[in-house]
Amino acid sequence: MKIAAVFLVSASIGILYRIPRTLVVYASLVGVAAWLIMYYTMIAGATVVLADFLASIAVGIMAEILARSLKKPATIFIIPGFIPLVPGSDAYTTMLYMVKGQYVSGVSMGMQTMLTASAIAFGIFVSSAMFKLVINYKTESSWQNVDKS
Amino acid sequence: MKISLEEMVSLGGLAGEIMLKNGAETYRIEETMDHITKACGALKVESFVIPTGVFLTVTDQAGRSLTAMRRVRMRTINLDRIAKVNELSRRLVDQRIEYTNALAILQYISRERTGFSLMPTMLASGTIGGGTAILQNAVFFEIVAAFLAAMLVRYIAHVVSRLQGAQFAFEFLGGMAVAFCGALLHQIWPDLSPDAVIIGGIMPLVPGVAITNAIRDVIAGDLLSSLSRGLEAVLTSAAVAMGVVIVLAFYGW
Repeated sequence: MKIAAVFLVSASIGILYRIPRTLVVYASLVGVAAWLIMYYTMIAGATVVLADFLASIAVGIMAEILARSLKKPATIFIIPGFIPLVPGSDAYTTMLYMVKGQYVSGVSMGMQTMLTASAIAFGIFVSSAMFKLVINYKTESSWQNVDKS
Repeated sequence: MKISLEEMVSLGGLAGEIMLKNGAETYRIEETMDHITKACGALKVESFVIPTGVFLTVTDQAGRSLTAMRRVRMRTINLDRIAKVNELSRRLVDQRIEYTNALAILQYISRERTGFSLMPTMLASGTIGGGTAILQNAVFFEIVAAFLAAMLVRYIAHVVSRLQGAQFAFEFLGGMAVAFCGALLHQIWPDLSPDAVIIGGIMPLVPGVAITNAIRDVIAGDLLSSLSRGLEAVLTSAAVAMGVVIVLAFYGW
């Protein structure tokens, strides 16, 4: 049930941001895989921040691989991938605390929301940057082979 | 066929303008303009892109150079067009299409109505809301309410984007509308909680493209674009939060 919900959410994000129709299914599968990683790492006892970090690293890796193999911009797969990870309920709870005047709970919840959001951003950053390094390393070593021959 | 300098600049500038208008990363726009103009026979290309404009200087074989600047005011999100321009530049580099065809295709891309019309995007937006509500363990009527609230957000986006102008107005109004739906549901059926409705409703307002582009611009080293896009993401989130908070404050009072 929840997996179907995540799939539909990712697919709808894809439609909303007008990604090419043929790629909607791939992008949604990235979203489902990321959400499953987050869900099971949280069941295994990880905090929300760590779980979202791991899941968004997976989003970045899957998106870069799909982008390279299908020759399309990686953004198309990243956005539907990470939207199901966004801490919407934490953000809402923060607002609720702030409105009720419970500032201590509000600040602590807000901190958690911000850390989770940063973890998602940093996870995508890490995986994309690593991917770029690997690609550059490959092209560089192929140049060295050209020099030798 | 020899392609004149003016034609190279206009082709590259149009490609860059389309990509920037539809939300591409900075380095992708610069690379695409470089590739397109070089494929047309330019000797040297300098391109510079910021989130509000495109600059392009092309030098041809004879040593003459020409600069074009395209100012971009309205920005939307249409990843389909970016993928199409990307594909076009690949074909141009591989010499699989001619200049005249390329220009015609670019003009077609910039004008065609791609993607989906209002009703399907409203349904998609509603599905985001309803799906997120399911993930929050909501009961059936809350899911339905979240679906309707998210659909309303999309409709507001449609109306506000026609009026054009004020930035972040749509996010603010969307947040207010969602919170109002949640409060209304709670008022009519006190058993149902407004939480899942509001969480689901604000999900379509998450600035996904701004966040992703900010990160990818940092990696590529485009500090100017990444900072402004990061700020755009923060301001968008703040606008949504303010919209929700104002309604909740009045409801609590």
